[in-house]
Amino acid sequence: MSLESSAAIASPSPRNELMSWKVACAADQVAEDSMKRFDVDGVSLMIANVGDGFRAYPPVCPHMEEYLENSGICAGGVLTCDRHLWQWDMKTGEPQGPAEKPLLMYETKEEDGNVLVFIEHELEYEFDDDDD
Amino acid sequence: MKVEIEKKDQHFSFVAQPGEKFLYAGLRAGVPLPYECATGTCGTCRARLKGGEINTGWKDAPGKSTLKADRQEFLLCQAYADDEKEMNSGRCTLGVPSAIKAFRDDDITPAYFQGEIQNWSRLTGDVAQFDVLVDSTVEFHAGQFFVLDTPGIDGYRAYSMVNYAPETNRLTFIVKNKPGGAFSEWAFHSARLQSTTSDRIALFGPLGRATFHPDEGQDLFMVAGGSGIAGLLSILRHAADSGHLEKNKAELYFGVRTADDVFFVSELNAIKDQFPNNVELNIVFSDQQQLSDPAPELGGMVPKFGFVHEQALANIEPGATNTMVYLAGPPPMVDALIRPLIIEAKVPVSKIRYDKFG
Repeated sequence: MSLESSAAIASPSPRNELMSWKVACAADQVAEDSMKRFDVDGVSLMIANVGDGFRAYPPVCPHMEEYLENSGICAGGVLTCDRHLWQWDMKTGEPQGPAEKPLLMYETKEEDGNVLVFIEHELEYEFDDDDD
Repeated sequence: MKVEIEKKDQHFSFVAQPGEKFLYAGLRAGVPLPYECATGTCGTCRARLKGGEINTGWKDAPGKSTLKADRQEFLLCQAYADDEKEMNSGRCTLGVPSAIKAFRDDDITPAYFQGEIQNWSRLTGDVAQFDVLVDSTVEFHAGQFFVLDTPGIDGYRAYSMVNYAPETNRLTFIVKNKPGGAFSEWAFHSARLQSTTSDRIALFGPLGRATFHPDEGQDLFMVAGGSGIAGLLSILRHAADSGHLEKNKAELYFGVRTADDVFFVSELNAIKDQFPNNVELNIVFSDQQQLSDPAPELGGMVPKFGFVHEQALANIEPGATNTMVYLAGPPPMVDALIRPLIIEAKVPVSKIRYDKFG
C-alpha cells in the first residue's frame, strides 16, 4: 500500500464532499410556484420552485405523512396540504395558520441548468414532539 | 384502562371502559384529541402505542391506509382495551402527531346518551328523516354531528343534526339509503318507515368542528352534496333564529341528482322568506339538464345544472374576507372544492370548514 492512498483515506479530499451533491432535476422541469416529486439515489423528495431558487422537502406532510405530490397545493409562495389545511412558507418552511411543525429542507443549489440537492441522509419527520 | 398521552409540554390521562373507543373516552373526559370523522374513515385520529397492550379494532378501517403497522400505529376511534389482561395491565402510553387543543372556548364536551328513534318519514326515494328523543337534554353547535349505535349493528355511524336549539332533547337526522350501508338498510328494508313503534338507540356526541357561531360575524357560503344538506340546514336555522341573517348574507349551493331527489324545499324557503334579500338558495341538478314538466315546486330556489362544486366555484366572489365557507358532502365533492377555493377564489384556510362523509 502506498503512502499516498492511506493519506487520502485519513483526510478526505473536497472531492468526496462534493459527492453528496446530487442532481435532482433540470431547473426547467419545475415551474415557478409549483413543486414536483423526484427520486434521487433512492431518496424521494419534493423539489419546489420558489421564484428566486429551489427548495427540497421530504415527500410527505409532517402531520399525517400524506404524500404532498397528491395533497400539496402551491399558491403565492404558500404550500397547503389539502388534508387538514396545514400551510407553510415555501421559501423558509415555516408553518403558517393551523400548521404545527415546519417543513424539513435539504440544501439546494443550481448549477448548469440543474437543481442539485445535498443529501447526507434521508430527512424524516418525528411522529410527535416526545420522540426526541 | 388508564390511557396516558405524553407530549413535550403536556400530559393527558383518561380512563377507557372495557370495549370503549379511546377517542370517545378521551373526548368525554375533556381531552380535545384530534379527529374528524370519528368512525374509522379519515385517519385523522392516528396515534402510536408506546407502552401497554390494546386491541386496535376494525382491521379494514379505510382510515388505516396511511398507518405504519410496524411502528405500532392505530386509530384512536377504533382502538380499545377489551379483555381482562388488557384491563388489568392497568395502563397504556400513546403518542399523537398533532397538538391536543380546544377549537373554541365554548367547545361542548361530548358524552354518551340514550334515546328513542321516532317520527320516521320518507323525504325522497332514498332519503328518510327521523328524530331521536334523548332521555336527557343535550347541547350542540349548529353543524355538529352525533355517532349513533343502533341495536344489532356493529359500530357507530355519524349523522349531522338537521335541527338547531341551544338545548334540546330532540335531535333530527336524515339517512340516505345506500346499498350495503348497515344503518340505512336497517332503516329502509324493514317496516320502520311505516311503523309507529320506537327503537332504543345509544348515541355519543356532539362531535365536529364544521360549526357556525354568530359571534364570528361572517357571511356564509355553503356547498352541500345530497344528505350533506343536514348540517347546513342546522346552520341556516341557527343563523335565522339568532338574527345573524339580518346583517349577514347566506348563499347555498345544494347538489342533487334529479328533480326526484330534492328535499327540504319548504324548510329552506322558510328561511329565505324571512330574509329574502340576504339569503340566496341554488339547487344544482347533476343528472338532468332541464326541469321537466311538471317542474318541482322550488319556491325561491334557483335551479342550476351541472356539478354542484362547479356551480359554486363559478359564483364565489374571489378574495372575500368576511365569508366563512362550509362544505358538506361526499369526500370527492369536498376534495374537488378545496384546491380551487384556495388557488382561484383565494379563500384563507381559516375560512374553510368542511364535513366529509362517505
